[in-house]
Amino acid sequence: MSTVASRPADPAVRVAREKEDVLVGDEIVRHRIISRAIHWTVAVTFFVSLLTGMPIWTPVFGWMASLFGGLSVCRVLHPWAGVVFSLASVFMFFDWAADMRFDPHEKKGWWGPRLFHYLRWEFEDVETGKYNGGQKFYFWTAGLGSLGLLLSGLIIWFPRAFPALVRELSFVIHDLTFILFAVALVFHIYLATSAEPGTFRSMTRGTVTRKWARLHHPRWYREVTGEDTRRS
Amino acid sequence: MSAQSLEIRRSSASVWGSRSGMRTVPTVSKYIDTTTCIGCKACEAACQEWNDLETVATRQTGTYQTLPTLDSQYWNLIRFNERDFDGGIIWLMRKDQCMHCDEPGCLAACPAPGAIVQYANGIVDVNPDQCIGCGYCETGCPFDVPRFHATTGKMAKCTLCVDRTSVGLEPACIKACPTGCLQFGTKDDMVALGNGRVEQLKGNGFANAALYDPQGVGGTGVVTVLAHGDHPEWYNLPADPHVPLLVKFWKSVLRPLGVVAIFGAVIGAFGHYMNHGRKGVKGAAAHDANLPEA
Repeated sequence: MSTVASRPADPAVRVAREKEDVLVGDEIVRHRIISRAIHWTVAVTFFVSLLTGMPIWTPVFGWMASLFGGLSVCRVLHPWAGVVFSLASVFMFFDWAADMRFDPHEKKGWWGPRLFHYLRWEFEDVETGKYNGGQKFYFWTAGLGSLGLLLSGLIIWFPRAFPALVRELSFVIHDLTFILFAVALVFHIYLATSAEPGTFRSMTRGTVTRKWARLHHPRWYREVTGEDTRRS
Repeated sequence: MSAQSLEIRRSSASVWGSRSGMRTVPTVSKYIDTTTCIGCKACEAACQEWNDLETVATRQTGTYQTLPTLDSQYWNLIRFNERDFDGGIIWLMRKDQCMHCDEPGCLAACPAPGAIVQYANGIVDVNPDQCIGCGYCETGCPFDVPRFHATTGKMAKCTLCVDRTSVGLEPACIKACPTGCLQFGTKDDMVALGNGRVEQLKGNGFANAALYDPQGVGGTGVVTVLAHGDHPEWYNLPADPHVPLLVKFWKSVLRPLGVVAIFGAVIGAFGHYMNHGRKGVKGAAAHDANLPEA
């Protein structure tokens, strides 16, 4: 039995198993493990739903069916992947909803002028908390979107149980919702990877650097570290 | 089953350029005269036999009708509709099966390439190898024809005996009919036959007799003489069948726009990165004097 006091090999990761919004050494824990696990479940099931659904949607993406062994496989896999995606989204919704409430100063324009202002990297709002307005907006639209996909998807899956007009509308709603979701997802992934270095690790390792937090989410940084970062 | 010898005019879920459109072949047609049908069901039996279909358990629902509706193993059904009319009862018997529309709604809705085809002669057929059993065709069809086999999930319906007609034989139902109320020939000939019969009926006091050949689907391969042509619904026929507008919107408008939007988003993200680069420190320096090193 060693007499040397043993220390945890990766303290930040160990803390991230249970807690978030805490400083551990030079890292801040941003997402605890259960949130990350739920997020990746949602992400993987969404991609399976997407890649099995797109060849059914249009023969332009028929080549994607080969990933799964043919269009018949896609037809069986898609609704089940969709159901698991919806279930995981429910868990995700309740896990994250508390952090996603809009602050009064965020209420305006995150889907219009403010979004484009942000995308031109023009300024950082010193009152940006753990999530900025754009992320909150994405959360709520994704939540509504997954509900829309589930309901319309169930109707498409069991057509004989519904009248003709309901079935026809479901195709349109399912399509429209998926298209908006896919477009938003492209930007979600882009912003979480290439566009903003240091972000992806928050969903794998679970932590971010102090500099990252201070740059992107100044108010959250202040809350976690207790420092006053505002220029006097 | 698809008849390889017949050239294909339209195919489900095809992008474009897959058909030569070079041959002109007369559209084949089934003529049904409901006024001389005696409801003997020889046509039902013939269809079952020719197509080697499984016996479907019949259900008594208070009429002579064999089944309440078509089945994946019962492609041809005589519908019995009893009505009070003009102080008496009329029996309206109509042979119900796929109408082989000129603009098939099933084909328009089908997402599986080549699962539903329309041959050059107008016959609409299902290719079970390609069918994925999704059920979209059911929503596309204005006549509620597509049915799905319980275990394999494949769609099955009247084929207009494409395997018989492509070797010069008439469909099995036509051959079996004892009264001559079913005829087979080119669309032009069958329409002429139908119009002649309608004139005869009008002369016999059926002022609203009509030939049911709905133009909402571009006309149908199956033309039906109705004594009460002003009330197709009495025969379980839709008054104005057409491919549902929402299906057309979904396939021809929403889908191409969606493809463009998704590719556009990817190109947009790439373009954004080239133009704006990464989110960096510059903006923060304006309000944050002491950004840490790491």
